[in-house]
Amino acid sequence: MLSSSITAASRRRFLRQAVGGMASLALTSSALRLAASLGQAQVLAPRASHFPPKARQLLFVFLTGGFSHVDTFDPKPRLREMHGKPLPALGLRPDENKPQPLLGSPFDFKPCGQSGLVISDLFPQLREKADDLCIIRSLHTDIVEHFQATLAMHTGSSTVPMPSIGAWLSHGLGTLNANLPSYVVLAEHLPYAGSQVFDASFLPPHHQGVRVIPGDDPIPNLRPAAEPSSLADLEARMLLDLNGQHARRRKGDLALGGRMSSFDTARGMMREAPAVFDLSKESTSTLEAYGVGSGDRTSFGWQCLTARRLLERGVRVVELIDTGSQDNWDSHGDMQAHRPKALRVDRALAALTTDLKQRGLLEDTVVAICTEFGRTPWTDASNGKGRNHFAKAFSSLLLGAGVRGGTVHGETDEFGASIVRHPAHVHDYHATLLHLMGLDHTRLTYRYGGRDFRLTDVAGTVIREILT
Amino acid sequence: MLLALASLFNISQVQSGEIPTSAHREWWAFKAVKNPAIPAPRDRAHWVRTPVDRFVLLEMEKSRATPLPPARPEALLRRLYFDLTGLPPTPTEVREFLVKPTALAFSNTVERLLASPRYGERWGRHWMDVVRYADTAGDNADYPVPEAFRYRDYLIQAFNQDKPYDQFIREQLAGDLMAKDGPPERYAESIVATGFLALSRRYATAPFELMHLTLEDTVETTGRAFLGLGLKCARCHDHKFDPVTTQDYYGLYGFFASTRFPYAGSEEFQSKNLPRSGFIPLLPPSQAARPLEQNRQRLEVLRSELIQLEKRVSEGKTNVGAKAAIETQLINLRTELKRRERSGALPDLPVAYAVCDDKPVNQAVQRQGDPSQPGEVVPRCVPSFLSGSRSIQIPEGASGRRELADWIASPENPLTARVLVNRLWHHHFGRGLVPTPSDFGLRSEAPSHPELLDYLAARFTHEDWSIKSMHRLILNSAVWQQASPEEGRSSSEVSRRLFVGFDRRRLDAESIRDALMSVAGSLDLSPPPGPHPFPPVEDWHWTQHNPFKAVYDSNHRSVYLMRQRLQRHPYLALFDAPDANQPTDARTSATVPQQALYFMNNPFVHEQAMRLADRLLDKPGSDTARLQEAYLMMYARHPLRAEERQAEDYLKRYATQAKREGVSAEAASRRAWNSYARVLLTANEFVYLD
Repeated sequence: MLSSSITAASRRRFLRQAVGGMASLALTSSALRLAASLGQAQVLAPRASHFPPKARQLLFVFLTGGFSHVDTFDPKPRLREMHGKPLPALGLRPDENKPQPLLGSPFDFKPCGQSGLVISDLFPQLREKADDLCIIRSLHTDIVEHFQATLAMHTGSSTVPMPSIGAWLSHGLGTLNANLPSYVVLAEHLPYAGSQVFDASFLPPHHQGVRVIPGDDPIPNLRPAAEPSSLADLEARMLLDLNGQHARRRKGDLALGGRMSSFDTARGMMREAPAVFDLSKESTSTLEAYGVGSGDRTSFGWQCLTARRLLERGVRVVELIDTGSQDNWDSHGDMQAHRPKALRVDRALAALTTDLKQRGLLEDTVVAICTEFGRTPWTDASNGKGRNHFAKAFSSLLLGAGVRGGTVHGETDEFGASIVRHPAHVHDYHATLLHLMGLDHTRLTYRYGGRDFRLTDVAGTVIREILT
Repeated sequence: MLLALASLFNISQVQSGEIPTSAHREWWAFKAVKNPAIPAPRDRAHWVRTPVDRFVLLEMEKSRATPLPPARPEALLRRLYFDLTGLPPTPTEVREFLVKPTALAFSNTVERLLASPRYGERWGRHWMDVVRYADTAGDNADYPVPEAFRYRDYLIQAFNQDKPYDQFIREQLAGDLMAKDGPPERYAESIVATGFLALSRRYATAPFELMHLTLEDTVETTGRAFLGLGLKCARCHDHKFDPVTTQDYYGLYGFFASTRFPYAGSEEFQSKNLPRSGFIPLLPPSQAARPLEQNRQRLEVLRSELIQLEKRVSEGKTNVGAKAAIETQLINLRTELKRRERSGALPDLPVAYAVCDDKPVNQAVQRQGDPSQPGEVVPRCVPSFLSGSRSIQIPEGASGRRELADWIASPENPLTARVLVNRLWHHHFGRGLVPTPSDFGLRSEAPSHPELLDYLAARFTHEDWSIKSMHRLILNSAVWQQASPEEGRSSSEVSRRLFVGFDRRRLDAESIRDALMSVAGSLDLSPPPGPHPFPPVEDWHWTQHNPFKAVYDSNHRSVYLMRQRLQRHPYLALFDAPDANQPTDARTSATVPQQALYFMNNPFVHEQAMRLADRLLDKPGSDTARLQEAYLMMYARHPLRAEERQAEDYLKRYATQAKREGVSAEAASRRAWNSYARVLLTANEFVYLD
């Protein structure tokens, strides 16, 4: 399908051919060929978007545990001035109703770039990309528990598991490369709610996120049995013969041919996927930029670089999950615990931004960097240094295709405790991402159990202010 | 302008779902079951085998369709085995049947398989899909429920014993109430049956946190499973498409709000030391009193012994030589104390994950589904649009679950029998007479054969709700025994709806694994393995940061594999086993390349193929005899002569090539057989059923 050495230009050409140029929404002949090569896995065939898309691929970066908005992307000097003084808080939990001392951020903030976006010292390298970033400071979610909030950020539902945003996009748009899954999740550890966050739920299972576990065995059953290839070829031929004879006596049964072609696709994955995970052809400067050391297969830099390689090869949605349900951004005890988490991702995310931009990938890709919820502007930790979960306001980032860089959307009050301008629910965030991909979130539906379901349930408004 | 406004108004009316009440009064599924006359189709009287065929034939005639010829005996036998037991026939069974494949031989085989314990393992699993069975609670840390297996085994037994379906319903909804005045030998199983309710999904971190969502699952699963009705939309607003009102919803909700659920653990089991509770002893209170009292006394003894020993140690009153012994004694005391305090179960008193009556309450409507916004209080009641004049009477002080169960398990209920016979039809044919087995509501497709559905439903209740007698009726019919569409006769949506031909199907996840192990000789069919090997309760420590997560290997049938609510079993999920968070009525059967990767590269498949090859090679005789045995084992047929030659040629070429790759002569032949076994197990013929 795609050779392993891909130039930016040829890739863009391929993508445009595969999904149709901006001028035409009709599927081109190469897209139809791709559909044909998918055999009976037609549910993954490329589908036309509802309107010309700004982005064709999504990179969804999820930082587990809930990073604090007031220590990262939403500066609150008043918190420092009022440090230690109580703010009578009105929260979602009963324990938030007693006055707690405000906690000034231990991190300094600086403006950066021509846009002068103010970001804290936790992200010194990403901050350099300020002019590419759009910070949304007015997100809010429904339930202030990790599990429910993680589910909500992925599926729009904080209670009953629903299809993940990646599965919805795969369902809505299909794949661009038959040799790789349409939705790949790079996660060394599972986040809260486990594999439900990238599940297809009631959508056809082709759309389920395929988890890649950084390390030696990234995709289950990908490694061939230790057999000489001449023998493996004989065996494959024999299987094809038997299946062919069987199918010839049962003409017209599409499922049989579908299963036969799934073996071809699987072999395609066996050929192509190891190359994706083999970083040996990357230049030393690239590896250094991402912070990938020799033999490293588990750092966040490895994940970011692999994400770029997956995007290059036409994977529709790539998700990066930085940490699991333990040892993450959940800094109840001391905000200094944010430091190592930020250190782990800052350099790699900045390098990824640069790399995507240099290779022209950012013209087709939208990047969402998000989390579960924010953290309280006050502290309830006995040592007065940590912050609890906070659902009423938090920050997330967007960059790339279709996004106005160097901008801030929405505003919280002087303490970051409530939203004062442009509130944006998680449903709005999702509606915006679908919009960037050329999909109307109210039309991307699936009939299940007698009802049409949507990623955005019965809500969601596209945040138009941030679109180019 | 005026016109635009008017049409806008119309749209909003439709969207708010204001279906005139007459529409649901007229809806077929809410009307009483009629017992229709058996039709007499004009032609093809010779084709008819059971009354079922007459109904099907009549519809075919109306559409000028004709049935497909009968399936080949080999295909029919394999179909029957997988349908009733989820396993392939043995070569001996195939040979015996093929000697004289008459209708009598076939119906004798039906009887034999219905009497086999393998039957309940297959059909119990279908019900487990519907009741979203799992071995864990579903809270944020997904605590294990070691007792859940009792309900699983109850279901398998219920199918094996052909428990009348009305009794099956009553036991699952109100077994605890029946146990009290039922025969003592049925006490335990009646308690266990309420696992249906106890299994409702738990949420979050505290015991019974977000209980309104747990009860939503209870109401929804009850509605879907028994009545084929989705109810949960009515939690927040009157149902848009069905006549279910918020009143109906909270009327039902009240039955379960008056029920005490067990607590199997959640994050606060660990963080706040909240022990398991509410598990129900399998002995009646009179007999349970003694072990309960003994446990209380033992706890006292343990606590005081521990205090004394700790005191002695801290005061240094122990001599040096006894130090190790005392350490051990301390550990033993602490472990036993922890186990007894935390488990809610006792060593001498088995318990079930089951429910019992709590203080009866009538539920207030939760406005917008929010329990903190109570509205009007609704007395416990059954849905008004179904009950007609027969509202139910709840005795003073009772939850009313027993009366609810009686109302559902009544031949007068228009949905109960129809829904069940349609589920049976769905599993036999791969498609229901109503294509959505858990949704008979106003948005569902009308039945393809309404009279047949009613005939089956009426006959079902008439024959004491015997599921096995429905199997007999359906399996012995000509319509079930048709061939699958072959040469040039592709099956269209229309012919599927008419049941022209038997829809070829892929084996489900359990059948693939069980069949692989069965032909490899590695499947353990000894009696059910009992509880899963969960860690002992004194070691439990799970939180949402560190949830319970395990996959336990087993040589038993796949129905006995441990299934978690929040983590899907990697193998089962790959082959479309259901998500245990919600009722599943029809499984998908998708073909994804990861399945092909599994067949090609997973060590389990390679191991089964190797065992199969060993089994074949261990048999005395020629390679040709082995090939024949292999075909009988896997495909339930004799190989064609051409296939034998093809296989012999393959074995030779493979061995030759292996020798070229440096494999010894003896090993090369074995390697060739291993490879051939893999091909046979991976081929479409193995995983598809004609």
